[in-house]
Amino acid sequence: MSKQTILYIEDNEYNRKIVRQLVGRTSYRLIEAIDGESGVALAQQELPNLILMDVQLPKMSGLDATRVLKADPRTGHIPIIVITSFALSGDREKASAAGANSYLAKPYSPRELLALVREFLPES
Amino acid sequence: MKLEQLAERVQSRTPLRLLVRWVAGIRASVHTKLLAAFLIVTSLFVAMALVSLQTIVSATHQSQLLDEAHEMVSLAQEGEHALARQMHYTDLALLSQDEVAIAKILRENNRFNDRLAKVEAAGTAERGLVEQIRSSQDEAMAVVADMANAIRDGKLGSVTGGLLRRQERLDTEITTHVGRLVTAQQDRMTRLRESVTAANRRSLILTGAFAVSAVIFALFCGFVISWSFILPVREAQGFLDKVAAGSFGGHISVPNRDEFGALAERMNHMSRELERFDIEQRHAAAELGRLNQQLAQTSKAKSEFLANMSHELRTPMNAILGFTEMVLDGLYGDVPTELKEPVADIQVNGRHLLRLINDVLDLSKIEAGRMDLALGEYSVREVVDIAYISLRSLAVEKGLNFVINVHDDLTVAYGDNGRLTQCLMNLAGNPIKFTKQGRVEIGVELVGSELIYRVSDSGIGIPKEELENVFAEFRQVDATVTREFGGTGLGLSITKKFVEMHDGRIWVESEIGKGCTFFFAVPLRTKGDSA
Ligand SMILES: Nc1ncnc2c1ncn2[C@@H]1O[C@H](COP(=O)(O)OP(=O)(O)O)[C@@H](O)[C@H]1O
Ligand SMILES: [Mg+2]
Ligand SMILES: [Mg+2]
Repeated sequence: MSKQTILYIEDNEYNRKIVRQLVGRTSYRLIEAIDGESGVALAQQELPNLILMDVQLPKMSGLDATRVLKADPRTGHIPIIVITSFALSGDREKASAAGANSYLAKPYSPRELLALVREFLPES
Repeated sequence: MKLEQLAERVQSRTPLRLLVRWVAGIRASVHTKLLAAFLIVTSLFVAMALVSLQTIVSATHQSQLLDEAHEMVSLAQEGEHALARQMHYTDLALLSQDEVAIAKILRENNRFNDRLAKVEAAGTAERGLVEQIRSSQDEAMAVVADMANAIRDGKLGSVTGGLLRRQERLDTEITTHVGRLVTAQQDRMTRLRESVTAANRRSLILTGAFAVSAVIFALFCGFVISWSFILPVREAQGFLDKVAAGSFGGHISVPNRDEFGALAERMNHMSRELERFDIEQRHAAAELGRLNQQLAQTSKAKSEFLANMSHELRTPMNAILGFTEMVLDGLYGDVPTELKEPVADIQVNGRHLLRLINDVLDLSKIEAGRMDLALGEYSVREVVDIAYISLRSLAVEKGLNFVINVHDDLTVAYGDNGRLTQCLMNLAGNPIKFTKQGRVEIGVELVGSELIYRVSDSGIGIPKEELENVFAEFRQVDATVTREFGGTGLGLSITKKFVEMHDGRIWVESEIGKGCTFFFAVPLRTKGDSA
């Protein structure tokens, strides 16, 4: 059976690198996008099993991308973990309203991130 | 009501309107105008009284004249009677031939003369007629004298015939003349009576006409003067109604050049001022609205900037702390012993930097008004536990006696547990930082409807004069301590703000060298909607 795929949409190269190295030691397959628009396109094309979405992204914000994906019948079922900074009051509510299944505060501990991913997507 | 409508119609549809306006336009005070109107009316009534008086006087005079005329007629008639009797006695004397009759004739003649003289004296009789009567009477008296002589001489019989003829002729003459005199007096009286009646009627009509016109004129005066006051008052009423309804800038024009005119002028002034104020106020309101909008935009921009900054600062922090954790977790293979300490130092300082960033951002958020509490039910025990667990390792590392002193029966409270945990950690983090050895204790107590959180230590304490200041932003008692322990002086001020957002209060008790106790009290159930 094919590997479970995780899509990470994040514009910061080093953060992508962390997740890449983290996931590299697991059985998941990681695909990456560096802005909201290409992230949505990639999700629609690859239909991953889980999406990690940064809030602050070029071209299209993470919340908008979440809304688009949740509204699309092909991708609507894919769980999305929004990575927010809880900058302002109401950010949490905004993430839920956009359709996020869970959220993680930046800076996250790689250990925590992996644990949360495993919650949604138990390693086969 | 009907009368009022009539007055209204008369006022508005007849040339009286012009008169009313003219009176209004007279340059005199209301007082003067009223006085003038009353004077006019009063003098009318005085004139009326004079006219009546004059009528009465002339009527009295007329009736006197009438009385006189009446007396003349009586006198003339008495004279006539006396004459008749004189003639009768003359005839008697001729028949009886005695002197007694002669005496009676003389008596009657005297009476006649007396009446005639009176009539003559009154000057109402025709002079010629009186003269004729008198001469005829003289002649008659001559006859009587002859008669008396004849009687005395006893020769009456021979002269009787002649005397009788003379006598008869004179009788006829005198009787005719006296008859004319009487008729003339009677005519005069009749004429006088007629003229008195006519005069009386005339003066009655005159008095009546004068009275009626005086009343009409008085009413007219009252009408005109009152309308000259009513019109401006009515205008003012309409004007004030408009002002009351919020429409400013109206203008009233009244023809009055009295107090009402002055009042109208002042109202117009007021109206202009009101309009000016209104316009100014509207401008100010518009300006305020614009500023408000600008402020809202600025505030929104600030909030967005904060959100971006917050995220942008955390993104590299995420990488730093993430890589460090992965290195220490051995993700890249075993860490050489000599590298372990510097990498751990990176981690400690990274975390410290993150705390600073969080504090600064929190403060900015509070100041931007973008910090809302996430109110909800929470367990007091859990708040204490989380703060305790988060700080325990640090305290243990320093060999401090870090304890919780909480009653187990603490129930569920209502508030923002995340922020309250942050407050407790700020309060407990300080003594762990500043206390070299001894005890740090976290406690909670429910007093009435207030939860009192308390953190006490046996550390260095805070000088009395600094007790108030420690809650100020960036305030630190001793800068050298900062160099030794780190920190920014933001922890307590942020804590104070969160406590106050809970409608609570915060205070500290301390004795220098013996340690200090920080308290903060929040309502068991904080008011407000859950965010
Ligand atoms: N428990 C304590 N014992 C002694 N001094 C304290 C204690 N808590 C706070 N202070 C004083 O109050 C100052 C402000 O504290 P805080 O606002 O938390 O800032 P920071 O911890 O960054 O210095 C500290 O710098 C210290 O001087
Ligand atoms: Mg980003
Ligand atoms: Mg502090």
